[in-house]
Amino acid sequence: MPDRKRALWAVAEQTRGKLASVTPEVLGQARRLAAEAGGCEVAAILLGKDVGALAKDLLACGADKVFLVEDPALELYQNDTYGTVLHRLIRREQPEVVLFGATAVGEELAPTVAARLDTGLGAHCTSLALAPDGLLTMGVLGFGGRLHTEMFCPARRPQMASVKPGMFTPLPREEGKGKILREEASALLSGADIRLRTVRIVKEEPEGMPLEDADVIVAGGWGIGGKENWRLLTELARELSGATGCTRPALDEGWTDGEHTMIGTSGKTVQPKVYLGFGISGSPHHTVGIKDAGIIISINSDPRAPVFECSDYCVEADFRKILPLLLSEIRRAKVPA
Amino acid sequence: MPELKFTQSQEMLRKAVREFVEKEVKPIAHRIDVENRFPADVFQKMGQLGFAGVFVPQTYGGAGLGQTERAIILEELARHAAGLAMALMTHHLGVEAILAYGTDEQKAKYLPDVATGKKISGLAVTEPTGGSDVAGQLANASRDNGHWVINGRKCFITNSSNAEVNIVTARTGEDAKGRPAFSAFIVESGMEGFSPGREEDKLGLRGSSTGDLLLNNCRVGEGSLLGGEGNGMRMALGLFTKIGRTGMAAIGLGIIRACLEEGVKFAKERVIYGKPLAKLQAIQFEIAQNRIEYEAARLMTYHSIGLKESGSGADAEIAAAKYFATEGAVRAAKRTMDLMGGYGVINEYPVGRYLRDALTTISCGGTSHIMQIIVAGQTLN
Amino acid sequence: MGELNLVVLVKPVPDPSCYDRIEIDPATGALLRQGMPAVLNPADKHALEEALVLKERFGGRVAMVSMAPGSASETLMEGLAMGADEACILSDRAFAGSDSLATSRVLSAGIRKIGPFDLVLAGNESADGGTAHVPSQVGELLGVAHLTNVIRMEVGPGGSVTARTRIENGYIEVRGSLPMVVGVRREINTPRYTSLMGVMAAQDKPIRVWGAEDLGVNAAEAGMEGSSMRPGRLSRPDYRRKGEILKGSHEETVRRIVAILRAEGVLG
Repeated sequence: MPDRKRALWAVAEQTRGKLASVTPEVLGQARRLAAEAGGCEVAAILLGKDVGALAKDLLACGADKVFLVEDPALELYQNDTYGTVLHRLIRREQPEVVLFGATAVGEELAPTVAARLDTGLGAHCTSLALAPDGLLTMGVLGFGGRLHTEMFCPARRPQMASVKPGMFTPLPREEGKGKILREEASALLSGADIRLRTVRIVKEEPEGMPLEDADVIVAGGWGIGGKENWRLLTELARELSGATGCTRPALDEGWTDGEHTMIGTSGKTVQPKVYLGFGISGSPHHTVGIKDAGIIISINSDPRAPVFECSDYCVEADFRKILPLLLSEIRRAKVPA
Repeated sequence: MPELKFTQSQEMLRKAVREFVEKEVKPIAHRIDVENRFPADVFQKMGQLGFAGVFVPQTYGGAGLGQTERAIILEELARHAAGLAMALMTHHLGVEAILAYGTDEQKAKYLPDVATGKKISGLAVTEPTGGSDVAGQLANASRDNGHWVINGRKCFITNSSNAEVNIVTARTGEDAKGRPAFSAFIVESGMEGFSPGREEDKLGLRGSSTGDLLLNNCRVGEGSLLGGEGNGMRMALGLFTKIGRTGMAAIGLGIIRACLEEGVKFAKERVIYGKPLAKLQAIQFEIAQNRIEYEAARLMTYHSIGLKESGSGADAEIAAAKYFATEGAVRAAKRTMDLMGGYGVINEYPVGRYLRDALTTISCGGTSHIMQIIVAGQTLN
Repeated sequence: MGELNLVVLVKPVPDPSCYDRIEIDPATGALLRQGMPAVLNPADKHALEEALVLKERFGGRVAMVSMAPGSASETLMEGLAMGADEACILSDRAFAGSDSLATSRVLSAGIRKIGPFDLVLAGNESADGGTAHVPSQVGELLGVAHLTNVIRMEVGPGGSVTARTRIENGYIEVRGSLPMVVGVRREINTPRYTSLMGVMAAQDKPIRVWGAEDLGVNAAEAGMEGSSMRPGRLSRPDYRRKGEILKGSHEETVRRIVAILRAEGVLG
């Protein structure tokens, strides 16, 4: 790979001037990879309209350089406009590695770009490592979280990967000392076949604390049995100033606050200080989402529930007996002596 | 003798039916039993998928299949909700009556609705004086000015409160030897002088209504006579064999399979003396018994139906299958209940319902006593 | 607008309810899939349902295309029973080991071989691999507009398309026009049950099997040779922790939990 610059790129994601939470995570990991490989440049690419302020943020998150592409045509995300710009930039600059956050947008944009570049793409990677010779090891999960495979892209370049949100931690922010390079969007878009038109992007911020920000997560699964019982969970979360999470079976039953509270391979990955799970059997689909939690306490009436193997503390009891006692004990403990 | 094997399309059919049952019926099975509520909405869905008119030609809106496919459907349904299977089973009695014995006008008028499940059907033969003794029926019908007037009271009629198309038998005269002759009539709910009566609170097969039908100077047109005057008994007996007993055998089979599967699940999960229950030889014997019962009932049921479909009389084989599958279901349910210990008598577990359902199948479509008489009769001739 | 030529990309996958049985051969390090029955990828049923609804509305044909071994015909019968008109299995030893782009090349060749198309639908991702790459990459290779994560889709007269794609905590409303490739999420619809009539009709519907030569796909474009991605080591993730059982009465257990919460500084 002698004629490629050893640059690591992170494609930043923003909606309406707000950076996606996965972007600092990807940049943080890119910095770590750069160090692993013996030092290389980390660049971020930012597309949009009136997003210049975010470029500084990206430098603070670990980018040495930001390619800033601003244009009215890029105000709202579309896979053809964004894909064209990225494709042409990558072809021109020839980075070694290009990383995306595996958000819904990333899920569409990364393979679009990979197809145009005729190169490989690791999907929803849960781990990344970069060897000094420049080869990227991409860890991916399959079969609902039960199988881990290391993937490589030995020949084609760039090596591309989409990164599962919540897997990596951002670096502490530092005053960015890097450069911001403004790119001419019309040049990058000229002659491109644009067939889609994004009319609008609608964000419905859900109520309640996002799982990603919570120090305490109280989660429930199939064993909760109904909406009535679910209220006990939300009460406990409130008492502990935390957030409520769920597994897929509970979500499918309609007891929960919504898909944004689901923890698992197809949901969120979380790293709270304390995770309390009630009525959760512990399928790998879910446990992969909490594997980096601080302390895991699980309550389940089935002594052979798989979740106990993945927990720090196990309570073999009916949650219906434990939860009310726990609530009153916590309230008692919070009253100043 | 070649092995008994289902065709690929029959296997596909079973898979499709099972998927429906597991998604739509299994979750409400317990509630159907507890509330004794007929799930009309689910029956409608079943109708749209072709279950109600499985053996009705496609020209009349049916699926154009046969009795084997029907039995597969009943077995799959009964695996989770034998009461609902009973309602469908009974519906088929009325459907076949019209299909086999109706005039073109009657078929055109009734089949499209019953084949799609839009209207529910039933067969009303049994009376307080004539159940096993079919000829003991007292309901009678006589001509009056181009109409028939029917009087009588039928009892233990399944789908009594929700069937819109009822096939009712009544005495209409005497045969050449002076014995009572019966005829069959298509009586629609809402017709003058016809109404469902009291509903029974059954031990099992709950979720299907079973009760009285009251005919009080019920006036029906000539067009309601089904299959010709005096043919009622022959028709009824034919329906009992071809549709009734085969259906009950399939339902019994479904219950046996339910017991087998629940028993296996319980034996694998329950830990006793530090090991799964399934490690104990005594339990293994019970599981084996359930399995053997299932295999035998399965072969008898589908083989006897296949015989009948290919043109043989198969009366004894069908009676034997009904007898074995339903009595076997009772044994399997009791066996599984014993296997489950205390849990067997907790209503949260379905095995109590399986036992009640199985016990109730004994007297449907002909009791075990009658089945043995049929088998003996053919064997001794 | 006239009838629609609809294509649905389907994939037989090992039955997700069996995924707990996944084993890795200790000798070869390869995946052991023994005894896991194959089913139609759950997300693909939603794609097929969307196609059937469009066919009912506009008329036309629905063809299923699948890159799979020839034995997949049994699984594809399920789609025929739901209402698809034909199935095309793209099967060749040369396709084994394809990454998502190589798979997309093969699928695109299959789609082209069927003829002109108006809409290609696919489930967003498959239950076993789950890359979600195929809809975009097939779209790119066919040179048409494409969307992934679609949760709602309306086709208007003249082939205009209005779609909603799911993003975190919201959606994007996007316009385009046929021909397109669309990857759908399961929340887009509820797939119909298979009727008995559908099962019978499926028996007579054509299932074609095409190999690399039929498709004009050469070795360098598909399979291991045509793939940029290479798999390495397989392993079963280990999320085990100390698993200390809190013994005692409910009251004692609860007090211990509160002590842990206090120690972690989350009692607030």
